[in-house]
Amino acid sequence: MIPLSWPRLWRLFITIPLLQALTIGLLASVLAKGLWTLAPVTFTALDWTLYDTWLRVRAPIATSDALSIVVRDPDSDERFGAMLDRALLAQFITAVHEAGAWAIGIDHRLDHASPSSLGGAASDALLIEALHAAGPVVLVHDPEIVLETATAMTGHVLVSTQADRQIRQIPLLSEVEGKPVPAFGAVLYDLYRQQPLVAQRPLLSDRISTVTLNPVGDGSLSALPTITLSSVWEAMQHHDRRYLEDRFNGKIVVLLPSEISHGPWLLPTGQSVAGIVTHLHLLNSLLTDNQIAVTGRWASFGLTLLLASTIGWGLLRFPGSRGLVFAGSVLVLYVALTSIVLWGIHVVLPLPLPLTAAGLVVVAAAAWTHLTAGPRMVLLEQDMLRVQQDAAAIRETLTLRESRAEALEEDLDAAKAAVAQSTAQQEQLARDTIMLQSEIGEIRSQEQAARRQLEQVERQLTDLRAASSDSSTLADTELERLKDECRALGIITQHPVLLRMFRDLKKGAGSPLTVLLLGEPGTGKELFARAVHHLSPRAGRAFVTVNMAAISPELFESELFGHIKGSFTGATAERRGYFELANHGTIFLDEIGDLRLDHQSKLLRVLQEKSFYRVGATSPTTVDVRIVAATNRDLQRGVSEGWFREDLYFRLKGFVFRLPPLRERTGDIAVIAESALADIAQRMEKPRPQLSADALRLLSAYRWPGNVRELRNVLERAVALTDGTILSRHVFSLDETLSGDDGDRSPFPDAAGDKAVLECLRQQAFDMQATANILGWDRSTVTQRLKGLCFQALIEHHGDQAKAAVAIAGNPSHVRTVELKLSEYYNPLMSVIEPFRSVDEAVAECRRRFKNLPDRHFASVALLVRQRLPSTEGAPGRK
Amino acid sequence: MLRRLLLVAVLSLFGIPLSLAQAPEDPATPQAPLESPPPPPEAVGDEHPSSLPSSLVQTDAAMALGEARGAVRIAPGDAANRLALARALYRIGDLDAAMDECRVAIKLQPNDAKAHVQLGTILIAKQDWRAARSVLQEAVRLDPGFTDAHYSLGSVHYSLGHLEAAVQSYRQTLTLQPYFPDARYRLALLLKLSKHEQEAAQFMEEAALGGVQQAQFFLGNAYKSGQGVEKDLGKAVFWWTKAAEYGYQPSADLLSKLRRQALSPDQPDRKRKDAQDAFFAYRRQLWEEFREYSLADDGETIGTRLLKDRRSDVAVPTLLKEGYALSEGAQVELARLYETGWDNVLPPHDKTILACFELTAADGFVPAKRILARIYGRGIGLQQDLPKAKAMLKGLPKQEANALLAEFVTGERR
Repeated sequence: MIPLSWPRLWRLFITIPLLQALTIGLLASVLAKGLWTLAPVTFTALDWTLYDTWLRVRAPIATSDALSIVVRDPDSDERFGAMLDRALLAQFITAVHEAGAWAIGIDHRLDHASPSSLGGAASDALLIEALHAAGPVVLVHDPEIVLETATAMTGHVLVSTQADRQIRQIPLLSEVEGKPVPAFGAVLYDLYRQQPLVAQRPLLSDRISTVTLNPVGDGSLSALPTITLSSVWEAMQHHDRRYLEDRFNGKIVVLLPSEISHGPWLLPTGQSVAGIVTHLHLLNSLLTDNQIAVTGRWASFGLTLLLASTIGWGLLRFPGSRGLVFAGSVLVLYVALTSIVLWGIHVVLPLPLPLTAAGLVVVAAAAWTHLTAGPRMVLLEQDMLRVQQDAAAIRETLTLRESRAEALEEDLDAAKAAVAQSTAQQEQLARDTIMLQSEIGEIRSQEQAARRQLEQVERQLTDLRAASSDSSTLADTELERLKDECRALGIITQHPVLLRMFRDLKKGAGSPLTVLLLGEPGTGKELFARAVHHLSPRAGRAFVTVNMAAISPELFESELFGHIKGSFTGATAERRGYFELANHGTIFLDEIGDLRLDHQSKLLRVLQEKSFYRVGATSPTTVDVRIVAATNRDLQRGVSEGWFREDLYFRLKGFVFRLPPLRERTGDIAVIAESALADIAQRMEKPRPQLSADALRLLSAYRWPGNVRELRNVLERAVALTDGTILSRHVFSLDETLSGDDGDRSPFPDAAGDKAVLECLRQQAFDMQATANILGWDRSTVTQRLKGLCFQALIEHHGDQAKAAVAIAGNPSHVRTVELKLSEYYNPLMSVIEPFRSVDEAVAECRRRFKNLPDRHFASVALLVRQRLPSTEGAPGRK
Repeated sequence: MLRRLLLVAVLSLFGIPLSLAQAPEDPATPQAPLESPPPPPEAVGDEHPSSLPSSLVQTDAAMALGEARGAVRIAPGDAANRLALARALYRIGDLDAAMDECRVAIKLQPNDAKAHVQLGTILIAKQDWRAARSVLQEAVRLDPGFTDAHYSLGSVHYSLGHLEAAVQSYRQTLTLQPYFPDARYRLALLLKLSKHEQEAAQFMEEAALGGVQQAQFFLGNAYKSGQGVEKDLGKAVFWWTKAAEYGYQPSADLLSKLRRQALSPDQPDRKRKDAQDAFFAYRRQLWEEFREYSLADDGETIGTRLLKDRRSDVAVPTLLKEGYALSEGAQVELARLYETGWDNVLPPHDKTILACFELTAADGFVPAKRILARIYGRGIGLQQDLPKAKAMLKGLPKQEANALLAEFVTGERR
């Protein structure tokens, strides 16, 4: 449970308009109530204005047939005098009772004894007897009662005087000297309904304490139908039973034996009436079911609070003129409602209190809005901050989920592939088992041969190591000799590394080991191959050069191994392949890195067994050939990337010479240029030109992607374009972009799309799905792109994840997301390579696991693997 | 004149001695035909009214005033003369002058209880109850054995609403003067109002026996409703009739109502039978008043028997009582007496008998209607009035009515 505190409550309060509206409404209601207590007369008059108007303009209510009122008239004044003798009153009561009245009420009090002029005790006794005989008769209550009677009931004829001195309500129960006395009209009504009275309480309703008047006409006595006392007396004297029964049978009969003058009470209709008259109107309204309900004090306050709160809410909810229009509409509606309710269901709703409270609310709401604008803004900002934090957290969670999902997808794919592979492998294994068993014997014999070769090679290696130990101290004379030897073989260099390499080559040329020459195009691979041949014992034999990239795939076998006549369409004659042509000599397999995988296996077989089958031949042809291979591609990477067979690579790796590019031996440029210029001039029959100093600087600064071949071409073009003997830098049209320092250049391929993808990712705040939608790609494609970019960035920033993330994110707000993604990509990579000791194996496993990663990014993966396993590069995997 | 006398009687019985009362201009009591000729009202107490007509009373009062003034002129320091003048002034209604004279008399003779009582009486007339009470209490102090002082004080206490004090005063009065029926009646009334029903009934009966009509009336009421006595409607009729004999109208009204109850077909059977039984019981009760006779079982009434025995003093009143009590035999006998008279005892066409017929006929008694129709139809003792006769025959069987009418018409031709 969150503990409540003041700031928390305040925040809650200021952010919930309803709560504020309720508070403002409550305060306004209380204030309005308080203000009106200062002017109670005006308040009361206003509060009842609608009711007073309604009384004056509404259609008159009906008079009840069940009510008979007997009043004095001039004739009875003459006949009975101003004061009626109680003996006569007794006669009237008896007559009315015998005529069958259901309830009798008399405007008479038993607060005095009859004076002797009005019959004295005898009249009193007669009245008591009549009251006793007539059953419960309702008299007017008086605390100073003189005559006790067990059967008579009493009711008060009091009214509720309001602050404006008008009479609108009658209390149903009134405290008279500490005793509750029911209202005269209500007691009669209850008697009429033949309901038992309990403890003198009227049964009208226990909940209602006052009844609001709904008088007939102007509320005077004359507005009610009456019968005169004299006419009743006449009927009594003439024993006119029918007359009496017509008027009294089954009715409530109220005798008014005394003169009813204009009383002290002022009705809203302008009439001054006596209390008994108001009770007669009350009785009539009860009998005709014309009661008026008035909202009580609390209900009134509740309505006020509701109206004020509603208006307050509207003003806070719709600031400006819309709020005012809302408030006005609510007020108009309320006033209309009070009128409708009064006219329709006779309920009097409060008016001035709600209107005043509404007015106060309008002012208070404006002030409140003004006062709390600042704090609200602060809270709003805090909320925004919180929401942003929440959003970031959610985004992180989303990123983690996405990464997890992708990792799982990759695992699933790998698992599926493994399953498929294992199924296929099982079948293959079953087939291979038999074949392998037959080959085991053959392989064992080959193993013996290989062991011998290995011993020989090890001896050679030992010799070479011994030789290399002193290579660092090559004397200038040795260098000069080697330079000359090179020049004799067409290799023009004075670069010590290359010369040392040549010396190694010269030593190795005598052995039958395969030589692998690596280097960029134009670095002189073929010259070195020829050198191997010339320096070897096979110098007198054939040297066959085969450009593997230039051989048509379909004719590969035929070209290399030859064919017999009729072995395929077009084989009209027997043909010897290159291997046969090079028998006892040397075969130079140029561009071996461009060999297809299936051809690689066939070539491997030849290298291993020294024999092959011509196309269409049934018997193998055995040859003795020295193999020299060259390529400008990174075969080790080819192995790790899977496009070059590992076993072939190891077979070729007898002697490996990595020829440095021209840009790494700029010292040779001048020599080569001189030699080349002499050669060119001779061919062009021109005088031998000289390079100017700036031209030489230019050539030295150039990157020479085409190495010596390019240099020769450039020189050739320069010679052709120059008439003089000095070649200045102007005659050389070199690509400027390849000039100068290239240290900043990224070693990685920057695919055209990556930049656009990264930009799009940044725009979409690294939302994979959104980016995928925009690019029209699958989400995983975007993920693989980003993964590649992340690996690349890691390499570029030397494994610093923070810097890499900053570089990828572009925008500081995305750094956190990218960091998460980066770690999500990097950690699985590390976990994949962790079990491996060998870089190649680890890279191969990565290729398998991250097969959807674009090829160009595996360079980054390989570098990351190397960073991870630097000390074990080249070592056999422990897996 | 008769009315006035009745009024005087009633007023006097309600506690205002006529000798002291202001002359009433307009009687409040509504009028109704009397059942029987009113007997002269009995004087109650020293100052209770005489039976003189009011004009005579007035003349007498004026003369007394003149005499009193003369006596005062001769001896202005004589308290008795002053008191006599006050009494004379009170009689003519000059209450203020009477009060002044009383005060002078008290000044002259401070220990005169009578003067205090007189002053109290004047103050009562002026409805100054508090002053009257202090003056009368002073009179009681001066003369504790003065009955009038206690009696008047009882009235004042009651007017002030002090029931207990009033009862005490009346008890004191009766202690001093046991034979004081009016005081007994007043005490009974107050006991009745203070819910002492049995004691009230006892005092009321004693007062009724003393001849106080109101007591008789209230006693009848008590028997009717069983207040303080055993319920007995027959006894109620007896006492109401007693009061009505002396012209007490409320009693006459109640009797008339009871007759209607006994005769009206609209009434519930039980109520009608109760009323009939009440009159029957009353008629049997009348036999008991004449112990020398025993109840006849041939339907003969006691009045008829008395008539036969020529008991001239009681025969006709008894017949009238029986006639009012719905005895057909009595009414037939009365009809004969009305037509023929009774030697020297009763002249023909006696109005009291006619009144009996008229009243009972109005209450619906068919024999009375038949008799009255004959009287009107034939013009016996009064002008012949056939429409009245026809009206009386309304409700009779058609054949009988037609025969009677034919008889009247024939009689007229003759």
